[in-house]
Amino acid sequence: MTEAEDKTAALLAALWLKNRPIVDERMAVLEGAAAAACTGSLAEAQRKEAQSAAHKLAGALGMYGYDEGTRIARKLEMLLDEAAPDATTLAGLIAELRNAVLSKG
Amino acid sequence: MRHILIIDDEDDIREVAALSLEATAGWEIVTANSGAAGILAAANPTRRPHAILMDVMMPGMDGPTTFRQMQLNPEIAGIPVLLLTAKVQGVDQRRFADLGVAGVLFKPFDPLTLAAQISAALGWKD
Repeated sequence: MTEAEDKTAALLAALWLKNRPIVDERMAVLEGAAAAACTGSLAEAQRKEAQSAAHKLAGALGMYGYDEGTRIARKLEMLLDEAAPDATTLAGLIAELRNAVLSKG
Repeated sequence: MRHILIIDDEDDIREVAALSLEATAGWEIVTANSGAAGILAAANPTRRPHAILMDVMMPGMDGPTTFRQMQLNPEIAGIPVLLLTAKVQGVDQRRFADLGVAGVLFKPFDPLTLAAQISAALGWKD
């Protein structure tokens, strides 16, 4: 790595920590949608909000070097495009994403 | 020195893109958090950007609508615009290309190579 790249990588690591609350907010939106889907009460507005959160996570996680997070978030975005997403699949993917984000620190 | 305007409603994306372009290329960055704010920033005669990096999906005025509005203002219509999108379907790429933008870049971008991607898309050699 060049000196500029080293500096950028260090700043990115700091930005990941700074922006981690944004990631947690989006995860909370997804987890709320999963809980609603499990009880059969996922309203369209909540589904759309969760789809938007997944879209944003898909666009953001990879820029912190976290491509696996982007891959899972893309799956969630597609699943939440369905009018009645499968609750078990939804909960499973969200748990996978949560674990993966936690493993990044 | 190159001046780049970044338009994105997501705080973290703006922040990382700005940091990346400043640190790796030494470019001067101005940011805006909406299409309307972006049009105002682009039209600032004291700090006219050499290029605009703009998100596609934004609340209110989205990227394509903002681009069309910019084309109505002859003072900023010539500024090259690169759209930034997390959508990867071919149909989206064709739709964006038909708009007349200078190029399309994809999220998530690699902060270490974003400046090089922009330069390549715009044919900048320096």
